[in-house]
Amino acid sequence: MSEFFPIIAQIDSTAFNISYLAIAPELILAAGAALILMIDVFYKPRSAVHAGLVFSTLILATASAILQYDRVQDGATTHFSGMIVADEFAVFGMFILLAVTALGLLVAWPMVEELGRRGSETVALVLLSAAGFMFMVSGAHLMMIFLGLEIGSISLYILAGITRDSIRSDEAALKYFLLGSFASAIFVYGVALAYAGTGALSLSGIAEQLPATAVVLRPGVVLAAIALIITGLLFKVTAAPFHAWAPDVYQGSPAGIVGYMATAAKVAGFGALVRILYVSFGSFSDDWGPALAAVAAVSIVLGTVMAIMQTDMRRLLAYSGVAHAGFIITGIVGGNLQAVWFYLAVYVIQLIAAFAVVSVMAGPTGSVSPLEDYKGLGRRSPYLAGALTVMLLALSGMPATSGFIGKLGVFTSAWSGGYEWLVITALVASVAGFFFYIRIMVLMYMEEPVLAEAPGAEVAKPVVSPNVEVALAIAIAITLFFGIYPTPLLNFLG
Amino acid sequence: MTFPILASLILTPVAAALVVALVPNRRSELHLPLGITLSMIPLALAGWLFFAFEKGVAGYQYTQQAWWYEPWGMSWHVGVDGISLALVALTALLVPISLAASTSIVDRTKLFVVFMLILEAGLIGVFLALDMILFFLFFEVVLVPMYFIIGVWGGERRIYAAYKFFLYTALGSALMLAGIIALAFFHRDQAGLLSFDYQELLNLQLSDNAQLWLFGAFGLAFAIKVPIFPLHTWLPDAHVEAPTAGSVMLAGVLLKLGTYGFIRFNLGLFPQATVDLVPVMATLAVIGILYGAYVAIVQPDLKKLVAYSSVSHLGFIVLGTFALTQAAVEGAVIQMVNHGITTGVLFLMVGMIYERRHTKKIADFGGIWQVAPWFSGVFLFTAFASIGLPGLNGFVGEFMVLMGSYSTLPVAAILGAFGVVLAAIYLLWAYERVFTGPITIEENREVADLNVRELSLLAPLVALMLVLGLYPNIVLDRVSPSVEAVLDRMEATTTYVVPEPGPLFDVLGGGQGE
Repeated sequence: MSEFFPIIAQIDSTAFNISYLAIAPELILAAGAALILMIDVFYKPRSAVHAGLVFSTLILATASAILQYDRVQDGATTHFSGMIVADEFAVFGMFILLAVTALGLLVAWPMVEELGRRGSETVALVLLSAAGFMFMVSGAHLMMIFLGLEIGSISLYILAGITRDSIRSDEAALKYFLLGSFASAIFVYGVALAYAGTGALSLSGIAEQLPATAVVLRPGVVLAAIALIITGLLFKVTAAPFHAWAPDVYQGSPAGIVGYMATAAKVAGFGALVRILYVSFGSFSDDWGPALAAVAAVSIVLGTVMAIMQTDMRRLLAYSGVAHAGFIITGIVGGNLQAVWFYLAVYVIQLIAAFAVVSVMAGPTGSVSPLEDYKGLGRRSPYLAGALTVMLLALSGMPATSGFIGKLGVFTSAWSGGYEWLVITALVASVAGFFFYIRIMVLMYMEEPVLAEAPGAEVAKPVVSPNVEVALAIAIAITLFFGIYPTPLLNFLG
Repeated sequence: MTFPILASLILTPVAAALVVALVPNRRSELHLPLGITLSMIPLALAGWLFFAFEKGVAGYQYTQQAWWYEPWGMSWHVGVDGISLALVALTALLVPISLAASTSIVDRTKLFVVFMLILEAGLIGVFLALDMILFFLFFEVVLVPMYFIIGVWGGERRIYAAYKFFLYTALGSALMLAGIIALAFFHRDQAGLLSFDYQELLNLQLSDNAQLWLFGAFGLAFAIKVPIFPLHTWLPDAHVEAPTAGSVMLAGVLLKLGTYGFIRFNLGLFPQATVDLVPVMATLAVIGILYGAYVAIVQPDLKKLVAYSSVSHLGFIVLGTFALTQAAVEGAVIQMVNHGITTGVLFLMVGMIYERRHTKKIADFGGIWQVAPWFSGVFLFTAFASIGLPGLNGFVGEFMVLMGSYSTLPVAAILGAFGVVLAAIYLLWAYERVFTGPITIEENREVADLNVRELSLLAPLVALMLVLGLYPNIVLDRVSPSVEAVLDRMEATTTYVVPEPGPLFDVLGGGQGE
């Protein structure tokens, strides 16, 4: 197993080793969140101050993550009695989460300004949830992972309803909260069963107990634990059949923040899923491998078919996200973690950029984004339409975009793992996926805008804030650059 | 280090697209002339490459290889041999000509020019790529600009046609990607590491069964592209709805991706499966030749007629490819070039007459010869070239294909020969109805003859029809050694024996590479 996964550290849970440096990125984000809430008490909200604070928080967190990367080059270490592990795997997760947070806040900024005081709460919640999600990918103990999951998720529940006065947004928040807590409960149930079966909660401790006679003779409890833990995490990453909440939540939540909500939870969820599966339950891979492959196939097919039928942009992206979760799981069952990280890293950037366009079209706090709105966008705003086209092509896996290299990676991964049928299913589904991605391009470039007012009225041109323009430019550059020359990122993740 | 000519050929159109994109929309009158001027650079490079190419060498020339990502076995590997050389030159030639024929496109000209240039980069890339992932990348990238060209600037049913074009071809290439991944893993099992390099993959020992499956995965992608009957239904829709430049590129080069793919990859990588499947492919090819021609005869629409004639002509290329003799495969390669030239001109002229009369219905014309003698003359000349009149280019390819096929596939060759007769029927009958007789519809009296711009953009292609018809060795000399290498490999890896060429073949000048 370990030849495949050099980037996941073997965890030494006996080390009682408190090092605040190891959790510096998380601490900085949390401190930034607290600071923003505090200055809000004393000063009237001023976006320049907030912007400066957020900017310096992110810079500091990134700097500490880079230092962390430098440290883990000498070998992985565990801290806080085996609660936290500092290894390359955790640092990759941190980098991707930081990128998502930075882009997400850039896109959400018009919404932050519009919301006034609740705007600073938005920023604080984003930073806090990022800290929680980072704990998920660096957690070496099921309790730590659960704590990170809850810090992140609860912040997201609130973010979904942050506008308060919109019924749709409230509905989204409530749905997300109810179903999300249900999933968390399932996860905790799995954790409890894992403890019952093995007497351990640290990831490596569980792995050590698995060869024990008691487990080998009666593996039922452990198998149930694996199933429940996987289910809880699959919910967070919107894999079918645990995806039903996603379209509603994405559709109802304030447009400015959906991109962050959709991506951060996925990065953390997949990070934790991979670590738990490979570190704790690696010896059971014959049991969970085929089950996950089935989940991948169902996600890809169902997500694609449902996306074809959608009439709302956000629901479409939600279902496409179900399919993408399937693609990522395809990589996971194959066991090539480099390919999984690459896919995740480029996918979240594509998705956040697509939602950035959605936030411009729907308004920063708007709910629902009917596809009709996108008619004739190619004329009304060539930049937005061009950016969305690049993102959609990347999401569809078109070569010369990062999406293709991502798909190539997970497909070769699954193929080498013996899941040829899954690769062929996924390939055929990606062709069907073209159908809904190019439909949006048809609307934008090949149809004329719908005139809402009297005939002859000028069609409103969407106003793009500079933040969103910058975020889109970054996303386009990354998507095309890593599509044509993926080597630097692959080397980094390898 | 020598000048990276092949990389420049792929990258100059991309750079040109960027330059055009930077010209602001308020100066929209500049986009088209700028695009035409810039597309002269790849044309000049291709022209230089064509004549600097060393004759009599079978292998790849001007190769360039650099790791793309080593652990996955992907590399930037490009090279040109006789089979790809002429197609690259054809692509570089058709782009400026189709751009020059696109003055009627006034809506979003910039986007149009940018897409045409990206299309050019993708097409040249397909022919030059020697790494399977690189090849697949270009093969797919071509879809996007073509999709937009059909969908944005096309006719009434453009959206339907664009969808159909995109999904059909994407389905084929998805299975090909599965085949490519499978090949890389065969290489890992046999040589210890993943590799997508075409020349590495040629060394694989594949079981007969594996070859059949992989032939199917690759073959489906190429068969849709060609298109081979019964996968051709996207073609008439795409052709009829596409703007003139789109049709020219589609018929001139895009369809050749399929036939080129067959020769390069199916014959090269899966020789045993190729030999086993010759009867199937030859049957489909003959059906394509005859069916395409029959359907072309009854078309009431001039553009659709030319579209179906492509199905028929491409059938000859497939027949030649799978006849597996030196003359037939060479004929298939030169027929690819010839079809690109003649059909390109036919589509250009249909576009020109559409700009004048806003109809493509054959019944709406008659007696055009009286008002537009130059137009009629050039059309007739091209029609003869397309039919295969000796002395013009169409003859060389089809004759070599039929003659070369006779030794291995006599029945198919005899049936295929009827395709030539049918071509004469559909083209000359259409010519008769459009250009001869009295003028019955008043609007036709106003049809203007070719102007200087139109004449000058048709002139190089018309000249090529004559040059390649009289002296095909310009191309054949460069093609023969590469074709011979493909067939030699086939003999070396299977029990198949390539029949000796007859005396007539030497008269034609084939096989000079020996």
